Amino acid sequence: MTQDTLLDLKLDELRNELATIRAPEALESGLLSRFRTRAPRPRLWWMPPLALAATIALASWIVRGPVPGNDIVSLAPATIDSDPPFLALRPLDRISKEKNGARVVATEFPRALLADWGLPVSPERAEEPVRAEMLYSANGEPLAVRLLN
Amino acid sequence: MAMPPEDLQPELELVRRMKDGDETAFVLLYRRHRDAVFRLALMYSGSHATAADVTQDAFIHFISHPAKYDATRGTLAAWLCGIARNLARKAAGWREDATDPDALADDTAPHESRIEHDTPLERVLRGEAAEHVRRAIASLAPHYRDVLILCELSELSYAEAAQVCGIDIGTVRSRLSRARARLAQCLAPYREGAREAVT
Repeated sequence: MTQDTLLDLKLDELRNELATIRAPEALESGLLSRFRTRAPRPRLWWMPPLALAATIALASWIVRGPVPGNDIVSLAPATIDSDPPFLALRPLDRISKEKNGARVVATEFPRALLADWGLPVSPERAEEPVRAEMLYSANGEPLAVRLLN
Repeated sequence: MAMPPEDLQPELELVRRMKDGDETAFVLLYRRHRDAVFRLALMYSGSHATAADVTQDAFIHFISHPAKYDATRGTLAAWLCGIARNLARKAAGWREDATDPDALADDTAPHESRIEHDTPLERVLRGEAAEHVRRAIASLAPHYRDVLILCELSELSYAEAAQVCGIDIGTVRSRLSRARARLAQCLAPYREGAREAVT
């Protein structure tokens, strides 16, 4: 038996002895808990572009003001000409069909509701009430909204 | 003993999925490497409790910083072993010995004061089968024992051991060669015994 052969034989014995040693089973559950707290959440990748688009839409609406010839403006009371314009919640051709039956109703609702219409809402102010005027169709369908504060 | 080349793609795919938060991928990786990491930690620390802590900390490091694993520099097994080795050595208070090649000449036998008679490895391996090998390994200087544990007992490649120890591959080869020579020297009486038994 050569020196190297004996050495390899003895090292094999050691390796076999080591191979019987296992990590404690209890470690896994703790590491899994740790993994769950560190694992990245699914990303809402579509939120930033949506918020940006909504901001641009709102800003352009405010800057541009009421569309010339838009029938909605004529539906609003004359006393609030200096107030912000209405923001359409339905297509303009749908709204224009409501010349006779539409009505404007002053209301107040949580600011969080603006998010449902695609408008940006600061999370800190989501619970604050916002004053608005709603344009309703004759059968009570909301057509447009104007934010007053 | 160098590990055979292996296809790393399936494991890299698991790492990618784990980075994306896939729990199943993490469990598969953990189960694949936990025992090797634990054994290595045990060989360095000599304590099951410390080895368990080291294994846990090594995998927590993996969970917290998966991007630190660079597949171009080695296998995940080697990376995890490197982390476990450093943590275990720190926990066990290993001293760093000279790495100057001149101080590690072939004929340099460890001074009696440098031989650790109850090393972590000795405490781990209490079985009868490898008793004298264990004692022989315990008599090696720590820097020789280090590469022996990594290359012979944890079966990392020379390149991986070099990466783990922060030394070049040539140093790994020479230290391993000297470690084996020393071991063989210590085992010589058993060779004589085996020869007599055959005749």
